[in-house]
Amino acid sequence: MDIEGAGEPGSSMHGVTGRESTFAFSVHSPAVPTDATAKFSLPVDSEHKAKVFKLFSFGNPHMRTFHLSWISFFTTFVSTFAAAPLVPIIRDNLNLTKADIGNAGIASVSGSIFSRLVMGAVCDLIGPRYGCAFLVMFSAPTVFCMSLISDAAGFITVRFMIGFSLATFVSCQYWMSTMFNGKIIGLVNGTAAGWGNMGGGATQLLMPLLYDIIRKFGSTPFIAWRIAFFIPGCMHIVMGILVLTLGQDLPDGNVGALHKKGDVAKDKFSKILWNAVTNYRTWVFVLLYGYSMGVELTTDNVIAEYFYDRFDLNLRTSGIIAACFGMSNLVARPAGGLLSDIGARRFGMRARLWNLWILQTLGGAFCVWLGRSESLPISVFAMIGFSLFAQAACGATFGVIPFVSRRSLGIISGLTGAGGNFGAGLTQLLFFTSSKHSTGTGLSLMGVMIMACTLPVTVVHFPQWGSMFFGPSKDVEKSTEEFYYGSEWSADEREKGLHQMSLRFAENSRSERGRRVMSAPTPPNVTPTHV
Amino acid sequence: MGSPSLILTALSLLLCCSSAVAAEGVLFSSLKPTLSITASFKKGQALVAGEDTITVSWSLNQTLAGNTDASYKTVKVKLCYAPVSQTDRGWRKTKDNLGKDKTCQFTITTGPYPAKAPKSGGPFTWTVERDIPTATYFVRAYAFDASGKEVAYGQTTDTEKSTNLFEVKGISGRHASIDIAAACFSAFSVVSLTGFFVAEKRRRTSSK
Repeated sequence: MDIEGAGEPGSSMHGVTGRESTFAFSVHSPAVPTDATAKFSLPVDSEHKAKVFKLFSFGNPHMRTFHLSWISFFTTFVSTFAAAPLVPIIRDNLNLTKADIGNAGIASVSGSIFSRLVMGAVCDLIGPRYGCAFLVMFSAPTVFCMSLISDAAGFITVRFMIGFSLATFVSCQYWMSTMFNGKIIGLVNGTAAGWGNMGGGATQLLMPLLYDIIRKFGSTPFIAWRIAFFIPGCMHIVMGILVLTLGQDLPDGNVGALHKKGDVAKDKFSKILWNAVTNYRTWVFVLLYGYSMGVELTTDNVIAEYFYDRFDLNLRTSGIIAACFGMSNLVARPAGGLLSDIGARRFGMRARLWNLWILQTLGGAFCVWLGRSESLPISVFAMIGFSLFAQAACGATFGVIPFVSRRSLGIISGLTGAGGNFGAGLTQLLFFTSSKHSTGTGLSLMGVMIMACTLPVTVVHFPQWGSMFFGPSKDVEKSTEEFYYGSEWSADEREKGLHQMSLRFAENSRSERGRRVMSAPTPPNVTPTHV
Repeated sequence: MGSPSLILTALSLLLCCSSAVAAEGVLFSSLKPTLSITASFKKGQALVAGEDTITVSWSLNQTLAGNTDASYKTVKVKLCYAPVSQTDRGWRKTKDNLGKDKTCQFTITTGPYPAKAPKSGGPFTWTVERDIPTATYFVRAYAFDASGKEVAYGQTTDTEKSTNLFEVKGISGRHASIDIAAACFSAFSVVSLTGFFVAEKRRRTSSK
């Protein structure tokens, strides 16, 4: 396996060849030989990246890194959405209006749009271990600041600052890609992302529970919620210390030992960015992710208050129901990717696109139902349906993204992630900030918008594989994977041979033709497909 | 896995809770203002939660009531939000269906309705509690029948809820000990990270 220069844009997702099923548990291919001289608890490849994903192990350094990484991400989700289940108390203490609450929700997801973009560069400079630790420990004071605010402006400002910590997503994915072989990186990253997102659900359980415990000790409501915020703050400090003391950047040590292979040419950032931005598919998936991940974040912000107000439940009960929404990430997000892979085995990329459209549209339908239902049991049922389908759609999106581009993979992933947060802020602004309509109506309108904004996936067309409604291009030259990925480079660059990595990826991505790949002539130097 | 058991827990919880949700209620527009209620408190500035008091007393308005007060069994006096504190705050909305109405969220006092004359109650002195939020309020009394349904009311303000309103200043919730603890924890976080970074850098340069 080649060691691409670690400073390159896109290197956070390097190693994803596109040929492996996105959710394999271990690498069987003989193309990736095990390094028998390495003394790790898991079998490793020549770069000492793990070839096996052993979920319940804490072996140093690979699985330990996995657990440190996803738990840090989980912690930042807990603190970013910690205010949401306590809003019924906070809104009375700080005399908030609906607009204030809505603006704070928007602020909580907007900060990370910028911090995620910066985090990639930070990881490149100081390594993912320090990147994660710095972010988590410098955002701890912002969580403690929640206890000090006394008006709407303070509430919005602090939620904005805490939101920056969601950039741990980037350090998490980056760190995983230094520790795990490219053939299983899809599953590892998907699991880490899904389990981290669960923090948005766990916080809806945790904060009301802490609030109740503190009240039992005799505190009044307006003091109890402030004390409750010390727990997420301390979680930040604990995770930061664990990451610093137990973590390491690379399987063999820390980033000071990193070396770059001189013969791999570094790509120019401006070219990669241009390539990403001029590919229309990038923008389709940015929009789509805004309406799968984005609406998930918005719902994390509003759902507890919705159940509290509409059905007159107490804080604990509405928190438990709201938690079910976020916690289904445990299985739903990986399931979406798995469905994408299963469909692709038979029907290739067209199945992935149909899978994504079906999951996301069903999510929108359940969201409409959620807003309209008048009875509590039906509401909860609709909410669970909405959560399962929306989160599966998130997983399915990242089943397609690795194939949109090889040259600009990292930037497209970053833009898609940013699109998620942008969609979150936008839906919160449109439907949950003005007093013109109730939260229930807002949810239904959001559901309609989800279904409408999922339609653009029908126009995504890959000349080599087709789109939802059309087969692959009949043109002999354009219908090859090599043409698609090669055309990301100019003729000059191709002459210099800079596109070799893309060609290799193109070969591996032939599996996206589905069953038809059996009839395609096998080039002599391609390793057999293992699933 | 965690998810299915959570779903089951939620479903069983809401089956218990759904029975607690009040679906029907008396319409406020059907009630007659047969109670006259007075509330006295410190005038001029906002009442401070936890310190200032309100003294309420109510009596039956004989001319309006006639003999309808035979069904009155209990009287509850409540603290209610004035319209200015309800704007842009759907969780305090006034609805005619008293089962869904959120105007009056705090109870000042509850007591039995006297069977014999004098048909009045009070004066009750109530300290504004520490969980009352900063807002503008008025006082309303409801009379309930034996089944717990509202049958009459009286309030300290007019029908438009524009006169005789008073303000309460809630506690801020902030406390010196919380401020100090937050500062200490934050400082610890920043200092330990910087210290670690510097120490590791020094170890790396000294070992090179």
